[in-house]
Amino acid sequence: MIAIDSYAYNNQLKSVHPSEKSLFAIMTMVICITSPTILTPLVILALMAGGIIVKAGIPARVFIKLLLIPLAFLLISVVTIVVTVSTDPSGLWLYQNLYGYTIGIHYPDLVQAVHLFLKSLGAVSCLYFLALTTPITELITILHKIKVPYIITELMVLIYRFIFVFMDTAITIRRAQSSRLGYVSMKSTYRSISQLFSALIGKMFLKSRDLYDSMSARGYTGEIRVLTKKYPINPKNYVIITVLEIFLILINLLWR
Amino acid sequence: MSKYILEAVDLQYSYPDGTNALRNVNLPIHQGEKLAILGSNGAGKSTLFMQMNGIYRPDSGCIKYQGEEISYKNKALIELRKKVGIVFQDPDSQLFSASVWQDISFGPLNLGLSEEKVTERVKQALIDTETTDLQDKPTHLLSYGQKKRVSIAGVLAMEPDVIIFDEPTAGMDPRHSQEFMQLLNSLSDKGKTIILSTHDVDLAYSWSDRLAIMYRGEIIAQGLPGELFSRSELVQHADLTMPWLIETYNELLKKGWILPSTPLPKSKEDLFKIIPIKSGQQTA
Repeated sequence: MIAIDSYAYNNQLKSVHPSEKSLFAIMTMVICITSPTILTPLVILALMAGGIIVKAGIPARVFIKLLLIPLAFLLISVVTIVVTVSTDPSGLWLYQNLYGYTIGIHYPDLVQAVHLFLKSLGAVSCLYFLALTTPITELITILHKIKVPYIITELMVLIYRFIFVFMDTAITIRRAQSSRLGYVSMKSTYRSISQLFSALIGKMFLKSRDLYDSMSARGYTGEIRVLTKKYPINPKNYVIITVLEIFLILINLLWR
Repeated sequence: MSKYILEAVDLQYSYPDGTNALRNVNLPIHQGEKLAILGSNGAGKSTLFMQMNGIYRPDSGCIKYQGEEISYKNKALIELRKKVGIVFQDPDSQLFSASVWQDISFGPLNLGLSEEKVTERVKQALIDTETTDLQDKPTHLLSYGQKKRVSIAGVLAMEPDVIIFDEPTAGMDPRHSQEFMQLLNSLSDKGKTIILSTHDVDLAYSWSDRLAIMYRGEIIAQGLPGELFSRSELVQHADLTMPWLIETYNELLKKGWILPSTPLPKSKEDLFKIIPIKSGQQTA
């Protein structure tokens, strides 16, 4: 997660307007999920891989590693869809008898599973494209612009910031504990972890109070208003997005 | 109009848990001065600062801004905070946004300025704190010193008349703390009133026009830095040490290298100037 976050601030698509990137990622994802053919997800996967690796300049191994994360979940769900257990082998494409039961695969199930698998992977690659090229702060700004209630966007701003503050605190505490042999045995590990969390909760209360004070000192009256950086709008990007999306929709329509 | 821009009058404050944090604090602050507040940890410096822009409310006594007692009504508080800015000690509890740019724009936007005006101020604050090249970085990838400079920019962008710095140089490396002191001087040249707390006696002595020493919630002395530091019993009582400049001066005086009429040196350069050349030695 931390790696995704730092790439979001350091990639070659950083200066592209966040709305353009979001529009591209979300539209492509919708097309991917609604695709009736396995061709669309494959094209989308290739497209996003190109966008992430070639355009944004993020190392291929990072992207592949990220794709491996949902793979475990996907494989489990695919297996449950594909594999049929019954007593009657008729209609099964591949099967094996075991102790009077038949474990086998229906061909249509296999097609459906592969389709689902690719659709999910394609959709995930769209989200990775967005996450790897656009900082969370910019995404929150977009949510704010499309009139998501400000209580939600404000909470996102604060939560995002404090994930890192508390992670630092937790790392420091953990280091201090392990330097005093806090994690040598199972028993001491449990004790250390519980102490780490209670220390962290205490710190969280203090920090939140300090934050409130310091925000008040800068004139906070209940609404966080910030200025967001202006990005240049690039009409060329909109043309590219439109062409690509029409192309994908056409694949969807023609390869039914 | 009063001759004091800000003034603490008979301030009493204790924390909800009963800790007596401020006891009978009287501290006038002159327009445009450089005031250092010295005190060991827990002396009440930060608590006093929280009073000065109305974040904490005193149990008794009051804070006066330009001779008038401050009001704790919302509108009045915003007016006050426009004039008196605080840079907190821990930048991690001041920076609320992961975006440097957004964080700096927060204060000026709360003042109700237009977007163009805010953009202008954010840019200027970035320049003044030398953080322009950090503006696209997220706050969690900055070093401590960089975060500190961003948090300073967030207050500078509000353009307050009085700027309070709570332990500003703690955690800064020598180069940045030196640059920070230059920034303070240039702010002071622009007519800002600057208050800072520190336990760095050398810094307090060299930089300040006036000094206040706090000890256990009380201001036990205030006055010119040279005068306060000539009272060694006071310095010891407040758990502080003598600035090295004064110690060296005293030693030179004792051993007869300089005359008692020699003025106290304010800086290293001053000190070097008053050390006489040994007789018979060629001038370098």
